[in-house]
Amino acid sequence: PSAASWGVPAPPRQAPCTRAYPGVPFSCPLRTGAPRGSRKFTDKHEWISVDNGIGTVGISNFAQEALGDVVYCSLPEVGTKLNKHDEFGALESVKAASELYSPLTGEVTEINAALAENPGLVNKSCYQDGWLIKMTVENPTELDELMSEDAYEKYIKSIEE
Amino acid sequence: MALPWALRSCLQRPCVLRSRRAPLGGAAGAGLILQSLSDDVYQNLAVEDWIHEQASLENRQVLFLWRNAPAVVVGRHQNPWQECDLGLLRQKGIKLARRRSGGGAVYHDLGNINLTFFTSRKRYERMDNLELVVRALRALSPRLDVRVTDRYDIVLGGRYKISGTAAKLGRTAAYHHCTLLCGADKSLLSAVLKSPYQGLRSNATASVPSAVRNLLEEDPALTCERLLEAVAEEYAARHHVDRHVTLINPADEAVLPGIHRKTKELQTWEWVYGKTPKFSVSTYFDLTYEDSVLQVKVDMEVKHGKIEVCNIDVPEQWLPPGLCQELAKSLTGSRFCPDEVTVLASAWLRTCPRDDELRHKWNLLCENVRMLM
Repeated sequence: PSAASWGVPAPPRQAPCTRAYPGVPFSCPLRTGAPRGSRKFTDKHEWISVDNGIGTVGISNFAQEALGDVVYCSLPEVGTKLNKHDEFGALESVKAASELYSPLTGEVTEINAALAENPGLVNKSCYQDGWLIKMTVENPTELDELMSEDAYEKYIKSIEE
Repeated sequence: MALPWALRSCLQRPCVLRSRRAPLGGAAGAGLILQSLSDDVYQNLAVEDWIHEQASLENRQVLFLWRNAPAVVVGRHQNPWQECDLGLLRQKGIKLARRRSGGGAVYHDLGNINLTFFTSRKRYERMDNLELVVRALRALSPRLDVRVTDRYDIVLGGRYKISGTAAKLGRTAAYHHCTLLCGADKSLLSAVLKSPYQGLRSNATASVPSAVRNLLEEDPALTCERLLEAVAEEYAARHHVDRHVTLINPADEAVLPGIHRKTKELQTWEWVYGKTPKFSVSTYFDLTYEDSVLQVKVDMEVKHGKIEVCNIDVPEQWLPPGLCQELAKSLTGSRFCPDEVTVLASAWLRTCPRDDELRHKWNLLCENVRMLM
């Protein structure tokens, strides 16, 4: 089922940024709703976006579609220390209980309290209001191991066959 | 009996178990059918964890068949107080377990069979599995009116639930398990799955109650043993797997290294009760004392199974000032558990002056607080 089946339009496909001037690092002012850091993805369909040393973590649109309606979010306590790949919680949907794995090493600084009353935010707004946790980034080099948005789009095309 | 090395290596190495029916050159025919020798719910749930974590399921399927002595099993994110009558469970010696998959609360006894379908995450397909079960049922009883609903229940005669489903998705592997009611104790099932606790508020996943029926009521040929065989047969055919059923002993650490630790973990209070999502209790009870009836209001907040906030409101002067607050204060930080109340109640009695009336009132109050848990 696509996001459109809930009467909510799917998040707009964001155009890849192009360099405005050669040699100058580009920013993406036209990326609506995206925080300053660019989004990186894991092969397990989590995303992380880092801003001022704090990473916001969520699941991708591909993942929320595959999961179905989320009915419960089990998230860690603030202060929990996570290593990359550690299980940090679970999402229960009509399909199954599905584990969540940390994209990076760091410490949980905040959890999305809105999900307690409204777990469906993960489906409706997986990149904005449906974020799961925020965490510190202990080893920034771990970010390089993750996929860029374009690489992730290619990856999901390849697994969708 | 499986030889220890055979089972583990079969599940872990990318060895291929070819049956005579496997397609030529096809590794997709690899698979195993396992059946538990135990009826202990914790041991059997531990086996599921073990297979899910240890087995290499990339090109392999595993079916696990199991039955439990009387037990209630709640889903991963459920609230046992909302789902069942814990007092009745304790009274009848029925075990309470929390599984790692989602879904609702179920009652198991030896008249119920459990089927777990292990696959890679990619091959996770509940409908396929349930249709397999329906084929198995029809093979034994061709005119049986059974079908799979869009909630992944199996219903009999269009109205009675005979099977419920739950599932877990891991990093690379997944499992789907379901129940099948053959000849379970239905009256006990209804009684235990009815919660008497009032005033609970939480966002835990709630069960959807259904009318149930046993397959044996429909057709006496549908015994647990025959059903287990029929499902194994159908599974073997569907997945081109050897139909031989391997028996496993969930207590055997040599065959299943680490199984004891997993079993123990599933039995801990921290897992069974402590994993309950945060909830609040806002209720009252009536105390009958001599000729009067007093209303006592209780408000609590429970997180990780422990009482974080506690307020007990007793009508003025029934108890000495401060005594009520003392009870509430002692309960704060304790487990939401009747045994804890008993301990606290007795502790206070030891320090209490020899005042029979006061002791009697105290016991009455504490007994009623216990009944909330």
